[in-house]
Parts: sequence; structure tokens; C-alpha cells
Amino acid sequence: MKVLIAAAVVTLALPVFLDGKQLGIYVLAGLAAMVTVGLSLLMGQAGQISLGQASFYAIGAYTAGLLSVHGTAPVLGLLAAPVVAAAFAAVVGAGVLRLRGHYLAFATLAMQLILLSVLAQSTWAGGAIGLQGIPRLSVGGFELAEDIQYAYLVWAGLAVVLVVAHNLVRSRPGRGLRALATSEVAAAASGVPVGRYRLAVFTLSAAFAGLAGGIYAFYLGYLGPGSFPVLLSIEYVVMAVVGGLGTLAGGVVGAVAIVLLVQALNELATSPGMPSYAPSVLSYAVYGLLLVVVVLWLPRGIVPALRGKERT
Amino acid sequence: MILRANGLRRSFDGVFAVRDVDLDVAHGELRAVIGPNGAGKSTLFALIGGQLRADAGTVTYDGTRIDRLPPHRRAAAGIAVVFQGARVFTGMTVLENVMVGAHAGTRTGFGAAIARLPRHRREEREIRDRARESLARAGLEDWADRDAGALPLGQQRVVQVARALCGRPRLLLLDEPASGLRAGERARLADLLGELRGEGITMLLVEHDVAFVTRLADRVTVLDLGQVIAEGTPAQIRADDRVVAAYLGATA
Repeated sequence: MKVLIAAAVVTLALPVFLDGKQLGIYVLAGLAAMVTVGLSLLMGQAGQISLGQASFYAIGAYTAGLLSVHGTAPVLGLLAAPVVAAAFAAVVGAGVLRLRGHYLAFATLAMQLILLSVLAQSTWAGGAIGLQGIPRLSVGGFELAEDIQYAYLVWAGLAVVLVVAHNLVRSRPGRGLRALATSEVAAAASGVPVGRYRLAVFTLSAAFAGLAGGIYAFYLGYLGPGSFPVLLSIEYVVMAVVGGLGTLAGGVVGAVAIVLLVQALNELATSPGMPSYAPSVLSYAVYGLLLVVVVLWLPRGIVPALRGKERT
Repeated sequence: MILRANGLRRSFDGVFAVRDVDLDVAHGELRAVIGPNGAGKSTLFALIGGQLRADAGTVTYDGTRIDRLPPHRRAAAGIAVVFQGARVFTGMTVLENVMVGAHAGTRTGFGAAIARLPRHRREEREIRDRARESLARAGLEDWADRDAGALPLGQQRVVQVARALCGRPRLLLLDEPASGLRAGERARLADLLGELRGEGITMLLVEHDVAFVTRLADRVTVLDLGQVIAEGTPAQIRADDRVVAAYLGATA
């Protein structure tokens, strides 16, 4: 509890001391954390993996962007973002989540590839050039124009996601989810509707990603298919695993750690003398290495490892 | 009759595991199903619990057909299961494991839990109280906050019994609950099952260990090669030549 309050206070105070570029990193880290908390819930509690979580981020972003470009009040666009993303997840998940195994991983990966090509070819979505002229978010005449305001919006968004996830984990359905992740047979025999619960947590994780995407749309003011590559989905998986599956703090810690690391790599890769392919090679190589290192030395992720040390 | 199986049949790769089995279990009865290895006991158990679907035949519970229902619906109808293997939920405490047992018969969904509605709080308290009560009955109070996966196998089995009790079942299915238990644990389990019978819970006990069963059961059904070869009181079964030939003789 003390750690939690300290983290809340520090992250609330932090934006005041950050310059423009650092604020951008703060926002991106917060958005990534919103997505990762949902994915960590899906992977750790329901034992399923999504390789297309960035597509829900994209769906949320495009929902908010398209609605507000066409004159809907931005705040309504923001509220619609998680709803539409969740609806997509419900449709995709309804078919595959009843099956055992890795069908969800394949289905979500396929979904993202299809989504990206549809977005790139649809003129109504701006095509490959992207969707431009998204207005700033405004709530009742108050417009969020400064980056620092978006930093606080992201803080609030992450807080909502964490409270929702926390409340879910410590409840009857949350226990059902954790139970089915370890023994599906015993969970079902105790009355847990396994298929329905998996679908519900998948849908919820998509809603988190959609909400993050909605904030992203208003923050950036521009969206293109190139902003949501498959690599981003892999990145979320790496963040969830590195932070520690099934722990809420793990999602946040993993996201922040990876965003900072990627930032450092970008600086390195774009420094003078580096070849043009350096950024992509470095990022893939580092994800690979990082996964290996975590699996070897911190198999349960950063947060559970730290907690384990505390106890002993 | 609380449980009635009629013409149950299930094969694997063309070989019958259970073949035209009829079984009638009366309210409040403790019925044992015994038989040598490969007799089809565990298959029959899974057909009733819903882990397997029958190729043919029906299962009726309390007057309704349940053979097409998924396991969680059978649980909701009042059937609880204790599995043979270590089927506790690892990474959850013993108390949490037992609380999952109350899933059937309670209602809080995702929305009510996330919004922390008053009925969530009320139900959560009720589930916790029931789980503590079940833990106490099973003699596990001191283990409540331990990780269930870290318990010895015998204790894990008892956790499963407590979990099943927490759902307040009317029919309790147990698959070889005494296997792998030490003598003392076995005696305590027998006492607990005897108590439960005293409370009117119907039990179907699949067991390899004949001695464990004959002390407890009201009636015994003997399976061999997927078929019922005898049924009666423990005394009748012990005196039955076919049983002695098929089962007792085989193990002697």
C-alpha cells in the first residue's frame, strides 16, 4: 500500500519536471501500461495469449479519430473507443476461445494483419497516408491542448484500468479466472463457465487497449496504419512477460521498462555512423535477448522477483 | 433416485471403456463403484461429472437429464467433484481454492465485481464464511493462507474435498480419494465422508481400495471390462463369486 501511494504521488508530480520530449515518453509509457495491464490479465489470469493486442489499440484510436473528425464530440469518441474495441474482441474471441490451445494467438495475429491492410486501403480511414486533422480532446469547452494535460489524462486512464483490474482480480469472477488458468477441468467442475470467462477477460483487455488508443488519437492528432505494426503487439507481450504475468504492477513496470529501453535504443540506433537498418535490427534483437534473459533469470518477471526478495 | 444412469456407453478408439452401464443411486446413499484397473471406473465417473460425453445412454440427476450439459452447469445443479490427481489451483491460497468451490450457486459477475456493488461485498463475505466453515470441517484451518500447490498430496486431496463442500453439493463424486494417502489421512477422510453421509449428502465413490470402500458404502457396484457385473451391499459383494473371480482373485 505504501509503495502504491508513493508510486501514485511520484507519477503525479513527475510531468511538472519533464521537458517536451520526456513528456512524450511519459505519455507513451502510460498508454503502453494501460494495454499491458489488460494483456497481463489475459495471459496470467486466463492463460491465453494475444499476438494482436495492438489491433485493439488501433481500433480504439481510429474509432475516436474517425468519430471526432466527422464532428462527434471528442469526449464521446473517447468513450466509444473501448466499447468498439471490446465489441471486436467479443466477435473474434467468441469463435476461437472455446477451442483449447493457441488458437487465440493465431486469430489475433491474423486479425491485426487483416486490419492493417484494410486500414491502408480504405479511403474513409485515410488509407496508407493516415487519418489527419483529429481535433484535440475537449471536455465541456475545456480543451486539452498541452502535452502535460495529456500526461495527466493518461495517468487517469491508467488509474481507471488498474482499479478495474484490481477489483476484478479480487472477486468471485477473478478467482474463477485464476482457477481456470491452472486447472480448467477443476474450475469447470466448480461451476466456472470456462469459455465465457475467457471471452470476458479477453474483451476487457481489448477495452483497456481501446481506451489507450483513444487517448493516443487525441494526443497525436494523426493516425496511420504504420503506427500499429505487429511488432507493437509483440512489444506488449514482451512488456507483460518482463514485468511479471498476472500481477497488475508487473504490467506497469514492464511497460515503463521497455518504453525506456526502446527509447535508449532509438537514440543509439539513430546516432551518427549507424546504418539505416539499425533501429529495426536493434529492437528485434533486444526483444529476443530480453525475453531469453527474463526467462532464464527472472522466469516469473520483475515484479514477482522483487516481491520474492522482500519476503525472505 | 437422485442419480440414474441408463445404458451409458463410451468407447475410445473402438474399445469400450464403459458399456451399457445402468446405475441408480438413492437420495442420501453412499455408493461405491469398484473394479480392477481398466474396468471403466474413471470413465464412468467422468461421464457423470461431465468431463466426458457419452456415446450413448442418459444420465438423469434429480429427474432432469444432464448428459448433454457442460460440467459447470452440472456443478450449478448441485454436483461437486473430487478428482483423483492433484487438481488444486496452484498459486492460490488454500482459502481461495475453497472459495472457488462456491462458484456454483453464487452470482456476482464481472460488472458487479468491477463496480464493487453492495451485493458483491455481501456475497464475498458469505463466500468467505462458507469457505472457512468448509476448511474447519476438513481440518484445514491452519493451512488457510498457504499456497495450495505447496501442500503434500494428501492435503491437496482434502483441499479438494473442502472445495467441493463449499459448493453445498447434493451429490458428491469422488474419484479414488484415498489413493496416495497415508493410513492416518485415510482414516480421517473416511470419518469425514461418514459425517457427510450423516448429513444426507449423496456420494458416489469410485475406488480401487476395496477395504476402504466396504467399511463406508451402503451399496457397492462392481465394474469389470466396462460392464456392471454385480451390485449389492458390501457383504453381498464380498460373497459374490463373479466379483471374487474378476476382482479380488485378480489382485490376490
